Amino acid sequence: MKVIKFQHRSCFKWLLRGCSLPLPPKTGSEYYTRPNVVQTEMDEQGCPRCKTTKYRNPSLKLMVNVCGHTLCENCVEMLFVRGSSNCVQCDTPLRKSNFRVQLFEDPTVDKEVEIRKKVLKIYNKRDFDFPSLREYNDYLEQVEDIVYNLTNNVDVENTKLRMEQYQRENRDVIQRNKAKLTREQEELEELLLQEQQSNEQRRLEVLQEEQRQLQAKRKNKQALLDELEQSQLPATLLLAQHKVRAAQLETQIEQQKQAVKPTSLFSTGIHMRQTVSLQPVTKIEDVLYHYRPLQVETYGPPVPELEQLGRLGYLNHVRAAVTQDTAGGYTSGLACYRAIQDAFSGLFPLRG
Amino acid sequence: MFHNSSQKKYWIFKSEDELEHMRCKANQKFRNKALESGKKPGVSESMFLQRHEEDVLFRHYERRLLEFCNAFKPTMPKSVVGTALMYFRRFYLSNSVMEYHPRIIMLTCTYLACKVDEFNVSCTQFVGNLVQETPAGQERVLEQILEYELLLIQQLNFHLVVHNPYRPMEGLLIDLKTRYPTLESPESLRKTADDFLTQAAMTDAGLLFSPSQIALTAILNSASRAGLNMESYLTQCLGLKEEKETLSKMYDSMRRMKTLLKKYEPPKLEEVNISKQRLERIHAEFASSSK
Repeated sequence: MKVIKFQHRSCFKWLLRGCSLPLPPKTGSEYYTRPNVVQTEMDEQGCPRCKTTKYRNPSLKLMVNVCGHTLCENCVEMLFVRGSSNCVQCDTPLRKSNFRVQLFEDPTVDKEVEIRKKVLKIYNKRDFDFPSLREYNDYLEQVEDIVYNLTNNVDVENTKLRMEQYQRENRDVIQRNKAKLTREQEELEELLLQEQQSNEQRRLEVLQEEQRQLQAKRKNKQALLDELEQSQLPATLLLAQHKVRAAQLETQIEQQKQAVKPTSLFSTGIHMRQTVSLQPVTKIEDVLYHYRPLQVETYGPPVPELEQLGRLGYLNHVRAAVTQDTAGGYTSGLACYRAIQDAFSGLFPLRG
Repeated sequence: MFHNSSQKKYWIFKSEDELEHMRCKANQKFRNKALESGKKPGVSESMFLQRHEEDVLFRHYERRLLEFCNAFKPTMPKSVVGTALMYFRRFYLSNSVMEYHPRIIMLTCTYLACKVDEFNVSCTQFVGNLVQETPAGQERVLEQILEYELLLIQQLNFHLVVHNPYRPMEGLLIDLKTRYPTLESPESLRKTADDFLTQAAMTDAGLLFSPSQIALTAILNSASRAGLNMESYLTQCLGLKEEKETLSKMYDSMRRMKTLLKKYEPPKLEEVNISKQRLERIHAEFASSSK
């Protein structure tokens, strides 16, 4: 059973984003302010100390520390003014520098993510470092065990000892892999930069386009005013000309907006140039449907029709419907009809 | 309607012999089961009830059922009573009184009939009608009823709709008043016809004839008692002038039905008591072993 390691590029990207290597710290202390990726309800997540939520303070940022408990930015500032204090919920001694902005809804996940990063810095072997798949999987399981132990505070001492031992034994392998990793990270960095740049460019272009359009409009208006001042033609004619020019400008702008890049694929996945057979669909001949009214064998004399009951005099012998009954759609004919039907159903003996 | 109902397809039999055969089979089945389940000391063939004793008990508990329904508060409509009686009868067609005690089954039948016929009583209201029991006793009875309910439905083969002869009788009376002026006051026939129907419910008539036939027999019977001749109704109004065969068959069935009613005799008290004692013994012996 192959363990599918999540080695997709985006994983590295993400690790890169969270990694403390090439990106310089943005402020004096080393916590990173990144836009909060989490999409929680505004009302739910709150600081356990001051109880404000995103609802009350939309720019609130929750920070997580190594013990797995959250605090909002303001509370961090207030409590850790000295630089180190104890956690509000679990009383472990903490440092202000260890606070990271919360990425995930569950703070324990954040904690695990941090631990994992640290562990993976040491345990950074790759799949081609192992002679067989089985050994690679065993190694991965080791790593997971360590992360689990550290996250859930199980056997922390021994785990740390194990980590140190591994580090000592595989020092050169770790170095080699680190170097490789930096190379990959650089490549990814470049890609990211390129993406950012192209995004910026597009944005600028759009802005420029808008500016140009605004300018053109303004020029048009100014031209009208100038003409009204200087030209000999009557004002109405000038206004009409101006209107025409303005309309032309509008259509130009519209056209530019509509200049969408032509695609080659329909949304259903069919290619644009694909030819479809225009042969007529084969006709299916079937027997024509013929309506035959339903015949029911009642084993009794024929029952008069519901509509005929009044005319035939049956309804004289049934209790008349009160206005309350008729409101619901009841008529005395219905009860009469049912009684007659029941009386005649199965009256004659069965054949044979 | 009756003509395409499950009652007509599965629960109308050809003759009383067939019914008797089914009941004997049920009796035998229980005997075999009891003898197989363990050769306990004191169990002998003579302990089991004979067919006629079973019959006596059946009739006795049927009467009890009728009394219970008549004393029911709020007043139980006739169709519910009819349905309950029919369930009772159908259940003991394929089961023996020795296996399931009729006292419980009778209440279960009534309870189910109330539900099926949409005569809404809550279960507490239902057992509240058992006046001779304490509230705790009523609770126990309710539990037993609920236990047996599913079994009853199963033994009825899930055919829960029962067509009773009361509405056909109304229909025939309406028809008589409309199309048969020869008869001056059909209303006078109503009372005797009603009694006939109640008596017929205590016989196997419901399992042999269709409800409209039973209703017709009731009316013709009460007419002949009053000395009125209604032959022309059958020939003219029901269109049977040409169909001599059908007519004779109908007269035949009516005669059979009347014989059935005449044959019915209410159970005698001493017989009932003896049979009851034996029944209790059997239940004590086998109910504990089957648990």
